[in-house]
Amino acid sequence: MAWKKICSVSDVPANSVRKFATGAFSVIVVNYGEGIRVLPPLCPHMEEPLEKSGVIANCKMTCTKHLWSWDLRTLGQQGETEKPLQEYQSRVSDGDVVAMVENEIVYEFEDENELDDDNFFKNG
Amino acid sequence: MVPRSRHLNPFSNPFSNEPYRSFYTVEIKIESRAGISEFTGGSLDSILFSGLNAGLTLPYDCATGTCGMCKARIRSGTVDVIWPDAPALAKLQRDKGDILMCQSRASSDCVLRVPANVVKSTAVSLPRHGTGKIENCIMLTPDVMHFELVLSAPMAFDAGQFVVLSTPSLEGGRSYSMVNFALSTATLEFVIKKKPGGGLSEWFFSADRTGLDLSIFGPLGRATFRPLEDRDLVCIAGGSGIAGILSILEHACANGHFGQHKARVFFGVRTLADGFYLDRFARLAAASRGALDVVLALSHEVAAAPFHPDFKEIKVAHGFVHEVADQMLEPNCEAVSSFVAGPPPMVDGAIRVLIGHGVSSQLIRYDKFG
Repeated sequence: MAWKKICSVSDVPANSVRKFATGAFSVIVVNYGEGIRVLPPLCPHMEEPLEKSGVIANCKMTCTKHLWSWDLRTLGQQGETEKPLQEYQSRVSDGDVVAMVENEIVYEFEDENELDDDNFFKNG
Repeated sequence: MVPRSRHLNPFSNPFSNEPYRSFYTVEIKIESRAGISEFTGGSLDSILFSGLNAGLTLPYDCATGTCGMCKARIRSGTVDVIWPDAPALAKLQRDKGDILMCQSRASSDCVLRVPANVVKSTAVSLPRHGTGKIENCIMLTPDVMHFELVLSAPMAFDAGQFVVLSTPSLEGGRSYSMVNFALSTATLEFVIKKKPGGGLSEWFFSADRTGLDLSIFGPLGRATFRPLEDRDLVCIAGGSGIAGILSILEHACANGHFGQHKARVFFGVRTLADGFYLDRFARLAAASRGALDVVLALSHEVAAAPFHPDFKEIKVAHGFVHEVADQMLEPNCEAVSSFVAGPPPMVDGAIRVLIGHGVSSQLIRYDKFG
């Protein structure tokens, strides 16, 4: 495991979401004013690209497509948001955002076979 | 169980490709994440409408075949599709038995899986079928018409709700938000915009329909104003999306909401001449004693003056309505409730603006009509 540079802190202004390629996949870097996090680029709800749909205000990121929202200080889910955000371990080092991005984080989206699954009632 | 069959009626309309359907009851079982619910529906009604009328919280947004929220998968039984060209049908995996509950009539008992939590509704009045006679068709601008439906029995609805209107000469129904508000009323007011190829719109604008009946199902929709909500309001609407927002403002005004709270309304139209219901806004602004601030945003015309020439209570600004709201709203409006209604790109833009201004995602309610 090694830290890898994703971008410079100055590449991501306060209250913004930026997407960066890192090796075989992409991540988003979010700057919520009080800190920075490195996340998978898609909304865990319906795969919306958060660098476009995500808006940050008051330390909360909201996907404007269906209004799922998380507090970026704690990653706590807001309101009716049903799934957590996952993140890559990250820190700021000498003006750079570095993260552990060896293994891609991929959310499990609604499986097309889920409705036929015997586990259906245990989901959600 | 009584055997059931469908048969073609030799006396049915020869110009309609819809076969005559006989009425019989069907037992529908819904398997949802919250468990199993059952209801008795009718063969002539959509599964969504029968289930809502039976008091279940079936999922939906548009109720008219566009959004895809009422998707279900058939585990057993058969259905007929009501409107084969419903836009959301294209998004479904129909080979796996996926249907839109709003566009499906059960032709046998059915077991359906619904990827949502379906429970017994706690609503005071459930949506139901009715008929309304068209009255008072008034052209508000060259392409916007006001009309009213006089119901055979009064309806109770929440400000911001809509009904689905249909007529036998058109496939599928269309949703319209009520413009007026009353705790219970037999007269519903609506506004309709001229849209070539737009189903009910074309039907309305092509001839005088006064005195004819429309079928109605409702009330529907959760983008509603709750009078106990102790907050300032921000409303952003484009074109005929202003309907539900006027209903909300009427309710808020009648409820004394503007004694303690402010409301800001951003109403987007193309030019000054395209503004409508401005007399209603002027009346509400006067009744609110300055608590209601209305801005008419003109997307295709530069405002000659900061106020409307005929209604001094109404401000005028140039730009798309969400851009105007972005410029005029305070940077941090965390504690407001907001309502958004209009065409999809406007609604998306307005939601971005509101979130960017710090409005909590839980306090934004919206209606996105195509």
